[in-house]
Amino acid sequence: MGAAGIVLRDVHKAYFKDRLEIPVLAGLNLEIAPGEFAALMGPSGSGKSTLLHLVGGLDTPTRGSVRVGESQLESMSESALTAWRSRHVGFIFQMYHLVPVLTAAQNVELPLLLFRMASSERKRRVQTALSIVGLGDRTDHRPNQLSGGQEQRVAIARAIVTDPDVLLADEPTGDLDARTSEEILNLLNALNTEFGKTIVMVTHDPRAAGHAGRTLHLDKGVLDREEVNARKTAAASAS
Amino acid sequence: MTLGYVLLQNLRRNPLRSGLTMVAFALPMAVFVVGISLVLALQQVSKANEAELRLAVQNRIALVNALPERLRREIEALDPEKKRIVAVCGFRWFGGRVPNAKSGIQSLGVDPDTFPIVYRELRWTEEEELNWQRDRRAAVVGSNVAAQYGWRVGDRVTLESTVPPYLALEFVIVKITDVTGRVNGMYLRRDYFEESRAERGFRTPGCNVFWLRCTSIEAMREMQSLIDGHFANSPNETRTMDENAFAASFTEALGNLPGLMQGIALVVVFIVALVAGNTMMMSFRERTRELAVFKAIGFSNRRVFGVVLAESVLLALVGAAAGIAPTAAVLSAVGVRTVGFLPITSLSVSPTAIVVAMCIALSVGVAAGLVPAWQAIRLNTVSALRRVG
Repeated sequence: MGAAGIVLRDVHKAYFKDRLEIPVLAGLNLEIAPGEFAALMGPSGSGKSTLLHLVGGLDTPTRGSVRVGESQLESMSESALTAWRSRHVGFIFQMYHLVPVLTAAQNVELPLLLFRMASSERKRRVQTALSIVGLGDRTDHRPNQLSGGQEQRVAIARAIVTDPDVLLADEPTGDLDARTSEEILNLLNALNTEFGKTIVMVTHDPRAAGHAGRTLHLDKGVLDREEVNARKTAAASAS
Repeated sequence: MTLGYVLLQNLRRNPLRSGLTMVAFALPMAVFVVGISLVLALQQVSKANEAELRLAVQNRIALVNALPERLRREIEALDPEKKRIVAVCGFRWFGGRVPNAKSGIQSLGVDPDTFPIVYRELRWTEEEELNWQRDRRAAVVGSNVAAQYGWRVGDRVTLESTVPPYLALEFVIVKITDVTGRVNGMYLRRDYFEESRAERGFRTPGCNVFWLRCTSIEAMREMQSLIDGHFANSPNETRTMDENAFAASFTEALGNLPGLMQGIALVVVFIVALVAGNTMMMSFRERTRELAVFKAIGFSNRRVFGVVLAESVLLALVGAAAGIAPTAAVLSAVGVRTVGFLPITSLSVSPTAIVVAMCIALSVGVAAGLVPAWQAIRLNTVSALRRVG
């Protein structure tokens, strides 16, 4: 599957708590090009995770439009969004969220259970995904037999095994040490540059954001400013 | 890998909790299955008895109080034209035991002339009947008893009576029967028994019960009131009843078994549903984040509902099977032949009981899993993911 662009137009999102309206996104406009690696930064409550959830089809905007590739998400039903997610989006979470009783390979295989696919094809895809993240020799290990960095690699393999257009990462290095974080970010970089995946990553860490081609700063539900990572852009142009 | 495999692995997540919940299913289901099997075995005997049109006449006070032998003639005289009674056969408790054996045999002395008529369902051959009539020491043995002691037709066996005058008599086996309800018994000729008693000074020939074979159900009803009416206010007042009522008088000691089983079933279902429901709720709460991830990666509500519900059902079925399988294996290995005086051939786990128990387990599994499965559907993926950072 190829990469998909992301376009948000006048997106509003509000939550209600005890009839009290809590606005999170307030008329956000944003474009992320196909194959781009974008980092989302901003203070707590600025709407980063909400934006990630809207782009991933986990939530719908109160107002405005969210387009990912050819899909207009705000007009899709919940079941249609679920089916869409399984094919087009890969999620990477801060705490990995692997199933502890399954092996690395079985965790990676989970999303493939949603597709009609021969067992041999599933195995091939799982092996490929684990090889891409450098864990081809850890297939039979359970999460508690892996380090944090390895668990996150398994989670990344689970996110890419269906060959989605977009990878959405919510603080993927938030629970890792500096060295392991670097490895994970390099891996995301590789997925972006070598496999052309569109990646949107929420982070609080400016060094992590430095791996992205562009950093989008959100504040109070709107795009406050954006920075282009010259080094990354230059490297991309050179390659 | 399949979703079924994921379910099985989920049961391993907290082995102690899964194990304890399974035990909570296993124990009551094992008891339930034995109880249902007992009820079904009794019903089977009851059905077989109904066809035989037999009436039992015993002392109104207690079975142990023997009625005089002459009552047989008086009962026969109540139907001189033999329109309602086919034959009357007197029974006396012998209470025999093989020397040095731990348990006794339900052995009874019976009137030799009418026993083959009143118990014609034993399917007598001409030779067997001839041997029975010809030899005073003749004995008919149930197949369970014969198997237990390795007896065959033609064998001479010695039984010691456990009631006064504690006779030790030799018998010759002329027939082995496998007819339902008779496989645990042994039938001896009463004339031989009474003569031996008389030799020891016990000159009071009598019967604990007279069995009548009647011509029809109507005849049974008529004779029942006729006999009890005839002996009313006499020194030997009688209580006449059909075979099922007679059998029930023995099982009354155990209470109303079917009713008891129903009660147990309801209590079992309720308690186990609470236990399983509690387990499933705990399991669901622990895995809220995991289920949210399942939904995030594309598992539909229907599929998540199915996964949670199936886990509950699987736990229930595995637990029930863990209780039923060893129970069935133990019963068939030990071969419980009888339970006290219950007129059942042997106690083995009935397939019907297994099916009923598994259906109950299935229902409990569904009931226990419904709430967490519904909550899994209602789970707000975004909120659940936010909660975990």
